[in-house]
Amino acid sequence: MNKIIMDDSMVGNTAVSALAISNLDFWYGTNHALKNISLDFPLRQVTGMIGPSGCGKSTLLRVLNRMYDLYPGQRATGQVLFDGRNILSPGVDVNVLRSRIGMVFQKPTPFPMSIYDNIAFGVHLHERISRADLDQRVESVLRRVALWNEVKDRLNTSAAALSGGQQQRLCIARTIATRPEVILLDEPTSALDPISTARIEELLDELKQEFSIAIVTHNLQQAARCADRVAFFYMGELVEVDTADRMFTAPQAKRTQDYITGRFG
Amino acid sequence: MSVQKTSPAVGDGWQRGGAQAVRRRVVERLVSVLCYVATMVVLFLLFSILWTLVVRGGAGLSLSTFIHSTAAPGSGGGLANAIMGSCEQTGLAALIGTPVGMMIGIYLSEFDQDGRIVSLVRFVSDMLLSVPSILVGLFIYLIVVEPAGHFSGMAGTLALAVLFVPIVVRTTEDMLRLVPRAMREAAYALGAPGWRVILSICLRSARGGIMTGVLLALARISGETAPLLFTSLGNLNWSTSLNEPMASLPVTIYQYAGSAYDDWVRLAWTGALLITVAVLATNIVARWWLMRNGSAQQ
Repeated sequence: MNKIIMDDSMVGNTAVSALAISNLDFWYGTNHALKNISLDFPLRQVTGMIGPSGCGKSTLLRVLNRMYDLYPGQRATGQVLFDGRNILSPGVDVNVLRSRIGMVFQKPTPFPMSIYDNIAFGVHLHERISRADLDQRVESVLRRVALWNEVKDRLNTSAAALSGGQQQRLCIARTIATRPEVILLDEPTSALDPISTARIEELLDELKQEFSIAIVTHNLQQAARCADRVAFFYMGELVEVDTADRMFTAPQAKRTQDYITGRFG
Repeated sequence: MSVQKTSPAVGDGWQRGGAQAVRRRVVERLVSVLCYVATMVVLFLLFSILWTLVVRGGAGLSLSTFIHSTAAPGSGGGLANAIMGSCEQTGLAALIGTPVGMMIGIYLSEFDQDGRIVSLVRFVSDMLLSVPSILVGLFIYLIVVEPAGHFSGMAGTLALAVLFVPIVVRTTEDMLRLVPRAMREAAYALGAPGWRVILSICLRSARGGIMTGVLLALARISGETAPLLFTSLGNLNWSTSLNEPMASLPVTIYQYAGSAYDDWVRLAWTGALLITVAVLATNIVARWWLMRNGSAQQ
């Protein structure tokens, strides 16, 4: 019953993986939160992760940029292959890793500084960059997230004054400004209104031209709309992974069927 | 279920609660009145103190208060040396105490949450918050004044700094703990090392509260008398040297208010007014600062 159902034609033959997880286990103290997960995130595709609360999907996301490192008692075993290295191994420089695998959180988290500095902060961490280049970077990422026209006249005002949707787009801009290869999104629209949500979903479509994206969502429609592939998690296990189309029309596993038809969760 | 014998009239639903609701309204009114009276009593006391200070202290206030040092009874004189001494000692104490207190506060909030050292430091710092200030004066007397063989402005400064630090420690720790975990994680997620997260994100986000703590600590130490009695002692003449005894407003008030000379007593009142105004102003600035920064967080 714990067998993971995967279609080999989809998994094995997709283009190169951005991230490849194999046999990953994760513990919060003694709580075994992720059990033997193996999952590939294909290059420049959107991988959606769905499942009921507490199923481990957010936990998995936090493994991918080693966010769990911040908390003693949390540990991961197994392998997550990224650019030829297992990112779980101790020798990995987590700061470099996090600049290459960016993350956007559930609630917009603008830093207590200007809009411009919110973006400059991350860039300065990893690059020596001239003022002119930085100006250009700020403009290009803000254009990328369709925020430029709304904020170009107040780049030096506090980011806290922006609306929730604008703040979240700023957070995405801030993340792509450090030029990551992968972007992790943890329920990025759950605190936003429908219009802001729609704009962020459009943005994902555009961003996947350049970035590989992993998105955790509680919103099944969102997963269906945005994701190329969808993974269903339940009680710390990966139950099923497939293309979004097949996942929502012809799921293989009983638990997936029950979940997407609203029987639980 | 079956028959409604006495169908209630429209509007009867508002009688729900009966006597209990009446009692609730009475109690509510009673408590409001008690709170109001208590507030008025305290406000009355506060304003009568302020009024007395303004009348009595204002009478002796003149330009010479600020340009002349204390002098023998009957020969005029002002508070210039005491004002200078107070500014110098509290200012230096704040300059020493702010960075030290902030660093300890950062340590308590950001490092090794449940470690032994952290809980020990937090315990000692909290103790210092409530230790009688005269003990701090005696402590500095023993470790600075006695070995040096004389009272000094530096000793006074150190005593005030010892009182200053725990207030800043507490506010820094509390304010840093208020920084949302999500904001820290967002900074780490960009690849920021821990020290950058603390300096550029957490401290920046907490700066309004920390600044308020510093100002409140300043207000607290600027009225301290006891720790200065054993350390900077007081000086009748103008002196800015930290190596000599140094005058201060609280000590001057303490010495002059009990004297037999009318002009000295008047100077004491004036000094009291000056301290009160300074402390009040500091408090108002602190509150204004907190409000401005508090609203910017929204």
